[in-house]
Amino acid sequence: MITAGIDMGTQSVKVVILKDNKVLAQSSVFSGFDPAAAATEAFNKALEKAELTKSDLQYFIATGAGADMAPFHNSTISMMGADAKAATFLFPTARTIVDVGAEEARAVKCDENGVMQSFVVNERCAAGAGTFIETMARALEVEVEEMGPLALKAETASPINATCVIFGESDVVTLIHRQESKPEIARAIYDAMAERITSMVQRLGVTPDVVLIGGVAKDVGLVASLKRKLGIELLIPENPEFAGALGAALIAARKAGGASK
Amino acid sequence: MTQKEIENLRNTIKTASLKVISENIARMKKTSPNRPEIMQYFDEMANLFGQREKEIKELQDQGKKVIGYLCMFAPVELILAADAIPVRVGSGWYDPAKQGDKIVPVEVCPIVRSTIGTKMIGLSPFLEMSDVIINPPTCDGMTKLGEILSDQKSIWTLSAPRIKDDPQSLIFWKEEIKAMKKKIEGLTGVKITAKRLRAAIELRQKASLAFRRLQDVRKISPVIMGRDAMLVSQTITWDDTQRWTEKTMMLCDELERRVKQEEWACSPSNPRVMITGTPMFWPDNWKIPHLVEEAKPQGLIAADELCSGDRILYDPVGVDEWTGSDMLSAVAEKYLMASTCPCFTSADGNEDRINWLLDRIKEFKIDGVIYYTVRGCMLYAMEYARVKRILDKMNVPIYYLDTEYTREDVGQIKTRIEAFMEMLDTRVQLSRGTQP
Repeated sequence: MITAGIDMGTQSVKVVILKDNKVLAQSSVFSGFDPAAAATEAFNKALEKAELTKSDLQYFIATGAGADMAPFHNSTISMMGADAKAATFLFPTARTIVDVGAEEARAVKCDENGVMQSFVVNERCAAGAGTFIETMARALEVEVEEMGPLALKAETASPINATCVIFGESDVVTLIHRQESKPEIARAIYDAMAERITSMVQRLGVTPDVVLIGGVAKDVGLVASLKRKLGIELLIPENPEFAGALGAALIAARKAGGASK
Repeated sequence: MTQKEIENLRNTIKTASLKVISENIARMKKTSPNRPEIMQYFDEMANLFGQREKEIKELQDQGKKVIGYLCMFAPVELILAADAIPVRVGSGWYDPAKQGDKIVPVEVCPIVRSTIGTKMIGLSPFLEMSDVIINPPTCDGMTKLGEILSDQKSIWTLSAPRIKDDPQSLIFWKEEIKAMKKKIEGLTGVKITAKRLRAAIELRQKASLAFRRLQDVRKISPVIMGRDAMLVSQTITWDDTQRWTEKTMMLCDELERRVKQEEWACSPSNPRVMITGTPMFWPDNWKIPHLVEEAKPQGLIAADELCSGDRILYDPVGVDEWTGSDMLSAVAEKYLMASTCPCFTSADGNEDRINWLLDRIKEFKIDGVIYYTVRGCMLYAMEYARVKRILDKMNVPIYYLDTEYTREDVGQIKTRIEAFMEMLDTRVQLSRGTQP
């Protein structure tokens, strides 16, 4: 059975194509100004990689902030539901899933079947999400990819109190004026972010194992800070940014009557 | 702002609001295409710039007084007994909050900011027509709101104690109610005799009875969408009590008939949701109820614990002896002891609210609770942890949803509500043994 999931994220569109619970292909395209067009592009790319055509798909589920804009999907599923499904598929021991995306961070609790039990989302504030790192990288005049490795070089941390991106930025400017080093500032930024995410996850309750997914899970700086703040090991899949699309594809397989748990 | 600018702004917002009102109703009709015909009465009453405004204006021209109130502690029976017209005047309009920002910081609760803004531009007919406004300083926002409005309106502060179960609280509160009675008599020139008070109490008791009848059908079946029932409950805060009661009774007749025929407003397998938290005022702040009942999977708001909804009429005044002083005591007791407002505290927290929630969850077979607050609503926000702890123990899912007086976050909120509905739906299906 062949199914697909599409994650219409705020920054990029991700597609995963599954055959009998094995990933055949995945693709990611920048959402840009026309998410629907980006979705079609990502979808076609994935089909091409998998050497399939649209008619080979038995079921297609959309998730993500712009799920309704996805082309020709059979149904939609919440991001939290998709997160839970993907995480327990990748790590059967997963009970708490932390998903940090471009504009949103969330945490989901689930049972052994990957059924969501409860969830929390960061409240109207991007200080716990990927955009924060991008804004701060600009303030430090470094590439966003350099931020993580830079933070790992820091010896101490200068605490900043980021309650929102804008205040965070002015805090960083204060550190720059104090002539703190870039690694220290980068570390401070990740610590502040991790603090926000940690308090959110703790409100939900931390049940191990904890899985970290979403594009920001690839950022070594955040991962280090988050491990420190949560005081717990984090399981991170190989392609954390595709977890949402994977979850949607897995649920599609179940809906189409497949063998997925 | 110049007078001209104020007028322009008022007209713009009023036009937009009329559109919102009719869109709200259209959305409610769309969800429930075979809505009882009698709902049309409440739809018309929902027009805040419609028939009721004219009616009150006429009564006022004939010499009747209009008494506005900002919170449910205002003793409506005393207002009615003095032949005055009670109207609740807290604002449910989003746009005037921006005007309020000119006076108070954005951190302040949007209901307060919007009520200030509403007064600044003269948007609310009921607020404008009020001869006086009763303001119980229940939360910090309400405490200062009265002061700010007092520049333009006469305000009567009605001080509610914060600890219910201390005997001295009730003594104090009864004195407050007595003083309020004198003020009302002074304004209206009508002496609140025992006969008048009894008639007013009985009038409201009948309204409570009608409301309880509506509750009873909602308990057992999805015969009416939550939004429709919420609108019915809320309209009594500006409608004529007797007429409202008659119309609600007619609605109940129809709903009871439908229960017998099993004519449902939505699928009986929909998750049954209860909303608790900050009051939700018509017309703009209807976004959460819309999203719940338009969600995929669809939820049904089976009950609420809102002082803008089920709490308004749930508890009637209970009188033992129909003497003047007993009745006045009974009025005072109802407004204090039956209230589940988070302004109260005790050694066990706001225990009455928790018990209220637990009872209602059982009675209305609630599958999940949405705990709703607006930014700056400290009391409800702070009480969440305690409520959650208890509901967690009972294995009742609860979701905390905070928002603002804005339309911009509808996308985000929709995502969350749909995820919560999906979760409840899965639980409901699993508990019935059907694989979702």
